[in-house]
Amino acid sequence: MQKIISLPWQVPFGTFALKLDPLSLVFLFAIVILVVCSGLYGIGYLRPYKGKKGMGWHLFFYILLAVSLILVVTANNVILFLGAWELMAIANYFLIIFNNDQHEVRRAGFLYLMATHCGTFCLFLMFFLMANNAAGSMNFDVIAATNFSPIMAGIIFVLALLGFGVKAGFCPMHIWLPHAHPAAPSHVSALMSGLAIKTGIYGICRVIWIMKILPDWCGYVLLIIGASSGLLGVLYALGQHELKKLLAYHSIENIGIIALGLGVGLLGRTYNQPFLSAVGFAGALLHVINHALFKGLLFLGAGSVIQKTHTGNMDHLGGLAKVMPYTSALFLVGALSICGLPLFNGFISEFIIFMGLFNGLFNLPQQGIFFCGLGIVSLAVMGALALACFTKVYGTVFLGEVRAENVNIEDIRGRKESTSKWMIVAMMSLAGLCLWIGLAPHTMVNFTLVSGQYLSGKSFAVNEAEKLLIPLATIISVVLFLIVVFLGLIVLRRLVKGNAAPLIRETWSCGFEQFSPRFQYTSASFARSIVEFAKNILLFNRQGNKIMGAFPAAGNMSSAVKDAAEEIMVRPFYIRLIRLSRKIDENRNKYTQMYLMYIFLFLIFLLVWKIR
Amino acid sequence: MRIIVFSIILHWLIVLGCSPLFVGIINRVKAVISGRRGPSIFQPYFDLFRLMQKQQIYSRTTTWVFRATPAIVLASMLCVALIVPFGKIAAPIRFSGDIILVAYILALARFFMIISALDTGYSMEGMGASREAFFSCLAELVLFMNFITLAILVKKVSLSQMIGSDVPLLWSTVGAVLIMVVVSFFVVLLTENCRIPIDDPETHLELTMIHEVMILDNSGVDLAYILYASAIKLFIFAAILVPIIIPFKTGILWSDMCVFFAGMTGLALLIGLVESGMARLKLNRVRNFLLIAFALAFFGFIVTLWRI
Amino acid sequence: MSCILVVFFALMILAAYRLSGMIQIFAIQSFVLGFVPFFMHADHLGLRDVALAVGTMILKGALVPYILFWAIRHVSMRSEVKPLIGFGMSVICGAVLIAGAFWVSSSLKLPGKVASDLLIPCSLSTVLLGFLLMVIRTKAVTQVLGYLVMENGIFLFALSLFDVMPILIEMGILLDIFVAVFIMAIVVNHINEEFEKTQGLDKRWAKMGESL
Repeated sequence: MQKIISLPWQVPFGTFALKLDPLSLVFLFAIVILVVCSGLYGIGYLRPYKGKKGMGWHLFFYILLAVSLILVVTANNVILFLGAWELMAIANYFLIIFNNDQHEVRRAGFLYLMATHCGTFCLFLMFFLMANNAAGSMNFDVIAATNFSPIMAGIIFVLALLGFGVKAGFCPMHIWLPHAHPAAPSHVSALMSGLAIKTGIYGICRVIWIMKILPDWCGYVLLIIGASSGLLGVLYALGQHELKKLLAYHSIENIGIIALGLGVGLLGRTYNQPFLSAVGFAGALLHVINHALFKGLLFLGAGSVIQKTHTGNMDHLGGLAKVMPYTSALFLVGALSICGLPLFNGFISEFIIFMGLFNGLFNLPQQGIFFCGLGIVSLAVMGALALACFTKVYGTVFLGEVRAENVNIEDIRGRKESTSKWMIVAMMSLAGLCLWIGLAPHTMVNFTLVSGQYLSGKSFAVNEAEKLLIPLATIISVVLFLIVVFLGLIVLRRLVKGNAAPLIRETWSCGFEQFSPRFQYTSASFARSIVEFAKNILLFNRQGNKIMGAFPAAGNMSSAVKDAAEEIMVRPFYIRLIRLSRKIDENRNKYTQMYLMYIFLFLIFLLVWKIR
Repeated sequence: MRIIVFSIILHWLIVLGCSPLFVGIINRVKAVISGRRGPSIFQPYFDLFRLMQKQQIYSRTTTWVFRATPAIVLASMLCVALIVPFGKIAAPIRFSGDIILVAYILALARFFMIISALDTGYSMEGMGASREAFFSCLAELVLFMNFITLAILVKKVSLSQMIGSDVPLLWSTVGAVLIMVVVSFFVVLLTENCRIPIDDPETHLELTMIHEVMILDNSGVDLAYILYASAIKLFIFAAILVPIIIPFKTGILWSDMCVFFAGMTGLALLIGLVESGMARLKLNRVRNFLLIAFALAFFGFIVTLWRI
Repeated sequence: MSCILVVFFALMILAAYRLSGMIQIFAIQSFVLGFVPFFMHADHLGLRDVALAVGTMILKGALVPYILFWAIRHVSMRSEVKPLIGFGMSVICGAVLIAGAFWVSSSLKLPGKVASDLLIPCSLSTVLLGFLLMVIRTKAVTQVLGYLVMENGIFLFALSLFDVMPILIEMGILLDIFVAVFIMAIVVNHINEEFEKTQGLDKRWAKMGESL
């Protein structure tokens, strides 16, 4: 199941070599679907900007991004891969700064560019180490055929984690992600969150595939990264007030889930358990596809909401289900999928990863059992937290009443922006795919199991796949049965009630009469108990005056969650860097001779280098 | 096929028939201990029947989510009930990994409960929903820790086997671990079913309540569905806990069934006693309570790791 | 089994809100501890096992708690425990420490045979939990309690090397403890609640905690 195209190329060391193997097929599948759907959505979404912005450039970079994504996952040559990688970063940058009249958007774009290049630096190092080991060959196949010493393999793996981890958004390296995703127009955010960060995962998979033997700690490291990114990602998501920022943090959580799957797969490979390994990898890869589908759907839904209401602040929204019935229903599909609830695709991939982890409990040595146990627990808690997070989103954006002051639902209904047909079609097709994988998972599970075996390098006995497929079939029947029971109960309710039509009244407010929609729980207050529980990690702070006495004065309160990685790790480093460069800058301005001295010093350095 | 249909019907008969009785026993115990005679243990059946007759009232604010939720919740509970064995009566549906399905169907029900509470657009319901979301995260932590321990002990990931015939044998070898599992699972049971140290199932007008305040706006058949669903949920959790507690198996179907139902009654008595003997915890202590349960479950896991 | 209960109660002490609760749990823990020798030497129960067990139960299960109760009653201090880090967090720390203790003892080689394989990790966990208690609680009484929990852990450890250890030494240790607690009670009586320094530190810690 491999196709190789190789064309001569004028670039040194480069051949234009493309390869289609089961691993790139998985990513290609996600890319094609999401690029098409987001593009369709974009047609409707960008209509208000017509004439104000250069649409041609946007379209150009959109297509450039699509092409470079495809090149990244099919490249079979280091130079080609890195070229496509850079092309992707640049195309992505120009798509992010679509609204370039806003200062924040420009900053976010710049941050993205910086972060991605820091990652690329590690990649350069990594690939050259690899090529060095493979006697200078730049072809992935050739590199994969060589042997690496354990230390070299470890170094390369760490570099891969750093370099690709920045792109994927592993937890301490994720800081660019929550800034860049909300800044971009929604259909681009969908692409970024659904696909661009997945190229990081693709890179790690590719490295795992290339390095046939990795030290055993690598699997544990991936499990730990998965658990920590997942938990922190979802906790930060809970603390957000801004819809798209919340979704961006959720991408970090899902990347964590994928890393858990990869970790199990890698452990299985290290300890020679083909089935375990294939299940782990397959779960991770299926989650890659699933996340592209439902996160794309959610970002597109969020885009519709923002277009209609001009705000993404969840504390000001509410009751949109009455205004935008289609969007709200489709968003619910996305929310149920991302929480991993049965009936939709998220459950299938999480179930497979769970099965991998549980199998790890029985087949791994003691420390493996310990980490698998932690993996299971953290995956379960991620599920519960994601549930809290998306009930918060759905409940406060689409249900209840509008929370903003002086805005009521009729104002929003009356606005001229409407979700166009293209947008609905795009979201519907994504939701349909979510439902398809949720209810008929066999095709995709078999597909990813093949890729999983390809990645683990060994194939398991044919009848072992039944261990996964039969439970899945049973699950589907249980879920269908649940729907039947549900319909039965609805019918029963009709029958029992007889002709007595239900009364429609105001919400019962325990006898309180001066009820106002401003009383409702907002997203901030809904999440408060959880966020406060984890306030030490989340840097959560509340500001505002205390309400005292029987007739309190007017008060206000605000709360915010700050990103610990950004505040503790990056910002101090950044500040020092600025200070240092300013100092150097001062000297430079004083003497022109300084320039000469730099050149002189560098010359001496080069001489010493060469003589040694 | 016929066997499966038969066993599904049998299971539903048990769970639909016995779960209100279970609640009835708890309420009766509480009444007796506080010196009242209390309602009959069959009172929950009458309550459900009465609610079925009532007219429904819906809030103007609500959407279809609010109307669909009670049926979704009850349907989920009925499906979960099919995965749980009741003593010697085998579960109609059992497969490797069914515990994950159990946990996630429960989560599905919770998802809809929470958004239906937010659908009413009133602060109290939102408050309950927020707490439900928080505490269930911690309960999930403990629940899965217990599942892991049991899975390692019996080397299976199916609920029917994890609480099946192997468990009594384990008491002699790893009794200490099982004690920790039982205690922490009991805490999960109390949390998930909103019993006393965490929540008070009796009142709903105070600011401190969780489950009852989420269903303030439900009425008539909808309320009956939800109450039935919570009774079933309690019954399911008890049915998972009781086979772990009972350290022996007679091997004869009828006597085992008697032991199982005696165990269930005993558990109902115990819950009644706990509810009478303890005060509801302050809200910010609930999480510590759950974290202690987690520490216990984790300790159990570590000891299990040590022993294998 | 009783070893595990000892660790369990050490965890409970970490989670207790009130001084009296802590002391009660400590009493129960010591009582359970007293049973360990019986279980260990069930087949050849000698006089010294019984003496040790009974001694432990009386001294730590009854006398020490009594003195501590007396002390806190006399200084009429507030009965809430003052934590440096929250109760939930301390329980989590405890759980992590237990895991660490088990991990360490899996690589620990001891001369001679140990009666139960759980004895070593459990005792190590108890010692660590006692230490944690001393670190994260501010009151003078809680310091004493942490010390006592640690001592219980050491007792457990000593039991695993029982045959090597003459009973006299163990008795001596018990007496030491008793005297120590007695003195501590008097000291506590005089300090009245908290050390001055402890308090200063407390504030600094609290500030650090906030800033974190």
